[in-house]
Amino acid sequence: MMRRDVSQQTTEVTAEEWVRRKEFVGFTEQDAQWLRELRPAADAFVGDVVEELYRRFLACEETNAFFPDEAAVARVKALQTAYFRGLTQGEYGEAYLVDRLKIGRVHQRIGLSPRWYMGAYALYAQLVTPRVLAAYPADPVKGQRTLVALLKLMNLDQELAVTTYLAAREAVISQQAREILEIATPVVQIWDGVVAAPLIGSLDTARTQQFMERLLERVVETNSSVALVDITGVPTIDTVTAQHLIETVTAVRLLGAQVVLTGVRPVIAQTLVHLGVDLSDIITRSSLAAGLHVALDILKLQVTGKRPA
Amino acid sequence: MNQAPGGDVVIHSERDIVGARKAVRLAATALGFGLTDVTRIVTAASELARNIVCYAGSGRLRWRGLDAGDRVGLELIFEDRGPGIADLAQAMQDGYTSGRGLGLGLPGTKRLMDEMEIQSTVGQGTIVTVRKWRKT
Amino acid sequence: MSTDHIAVLKVREALLVTVPSDPEDATVAALQEQVLRAMERHAGKGLVLDLSGVETVDSYFARTITETAQMVGLMGGRTVLAGMRPSVAMTTVQLGLLFPNALTALDVDRALDLLATPEPDGRRP
Repeated sequence: MMRRDVSQQTTEVTAEEWVRRKEFVGFTEQDAQWLRELRPAADAFVGDVVEELYRRFLACEETNAFFPDEAAVARVKALQTAYFRGLTQGEYGEAYLVDRLKIGRVHQRIGLSPRWYMGAYALYAQLVTPRVLAAYPADPVKGQRTLVALLKLMNLDQELAVTTYLAAREAVISQQAREILEIATPVVQIWDGVVAAPLIGSLDTARTQQFMERLLERVVETNSSVALVDITGVPTIDTVTAQHLIETVTAVRLLGAQVVLTGVRPVIAQTLVHLGVDLSDIITRSSLAAGLHVALDILKLQVTGKRPA
Repeated sequence: MNQAPGGDVVIHSERDIVGARKAVRLAATALGFGLTDVTRIVTAASELARNIVCYAGSGRLRWRGLDAGDRVGLELIFEDRGPGIADLAQAMQDGYTSGRGLGLGLPGTKRLMDEMEIQSTVGQGTIVTVRKWRKT
Repeated sequence: MSTDHIAVLKVREALLVTVPSDPEDATVAALQEQVLRAMERHAGKGLVLDLSGVETVDSYFARTITETAQMVGLMGGRTVLAGMRPSVAMTTVQLGLLFPNALTALDVDRALDLLATPEPDGRRP
């Protein structure tokens, strides 16, 4: 989907998506109008509502932890007041969206889970309901509609906060996944001219690319003639994985080095034969140690015992 | 967010294949693709440009950057008014090795890219669209 | 853009060609031509193609190289591809291109060593 080039600030929810969300809950221009009209009354009772809200937060141990001192509480109350006033500003377009998206990001950063946030909204709803209705003594129908408009908007805000919170979490998880990938595919130089790469886990296309890239680069970096690729840690081998392994071997050869596939356990050997995978062209061994012997052979090296002193 | 790169080149002779490669290399690098992906994209472009030269005589390559929020991509569109591909299914199936001068090398090219779409009408021409993405 | 000039050097009884980074078809074809003429004159141990500067290998390039290696073989020599870049190797493999008649080496030095030692079974990619 091509998105309009707004700014970094609307990455989690685009301007178009925001319009669709408002449509979905049925938040209309009329609702915006009613909320605009509620402003004077809202400004009058916002102080009370915020006080009451924080009384509850501070009384509850888990939320109390987010307010280390008086200054913090005062700051947050001010922000909360501004937030609440924002609900009755009358304009709920992109600028509003950008502003609200910030909230979820902040909450993820400080570790405030959506549970508390949504709990707070429940409190908000309890606190504003009687006050909004009380603002329209002569026109209860309008009072009700205004209240519904407010609740719709608060609901939309919750959605935004949860979306950005989840998006921020996703980003962290992706980053960690990438890091795990890095850790899982080290390519180590174990001798002059020999690198060893233990493969752990399965080999999907993405991991293979990553692995191949690292392996090839290391071979070139270390000027190695032999690469030991150990598959002891690969639990299952299917056609796709086997194919990827063969591709890897071919690529290393193109560079001018040889591959010894080690850690080929009986179970794997069986599977490969049954799959009809042709590894006749590749040197294989059942253990990394055996592979090292082959490497030393290729390099025409020999290990001799030390002469006694 | 910068303006996404875009452009086009005419493909008329073998010389233009290199021109296409260079243009695509610049575009892919500008979009932040890593070296290996740049190489893949350039190679795919080379193959598809070559197809135009070999089978259609002349055609055009258009490219543009794509932006989809959490990822960024490069789209290449190879268009010609050549004879078209009679049996698309067959063309997408020719053996694993494409280096023998037979066929269009489409399966191999597809493997290099993330997405490939082909529209072809016999007697009218062919449009091959390929895309490669990277996460931002 | 003019065709890059291909220099074929005679080094330690073999021919050495440094392939330019992004050769156009005409250059690749000229390379084959030059190599064969040089083989005729020097009939040495074979050919080393220095690919360390090459950024793209497409099917035409691969085909021409393979043909050249075949021809060198017929004239009694062996061909070694030296210094292929990781990104090129990966792409080549993915594209399904093979070089059945050529050996490979990490760099020109080793390639020349390879040609100097008569090995019964060379490393084949």
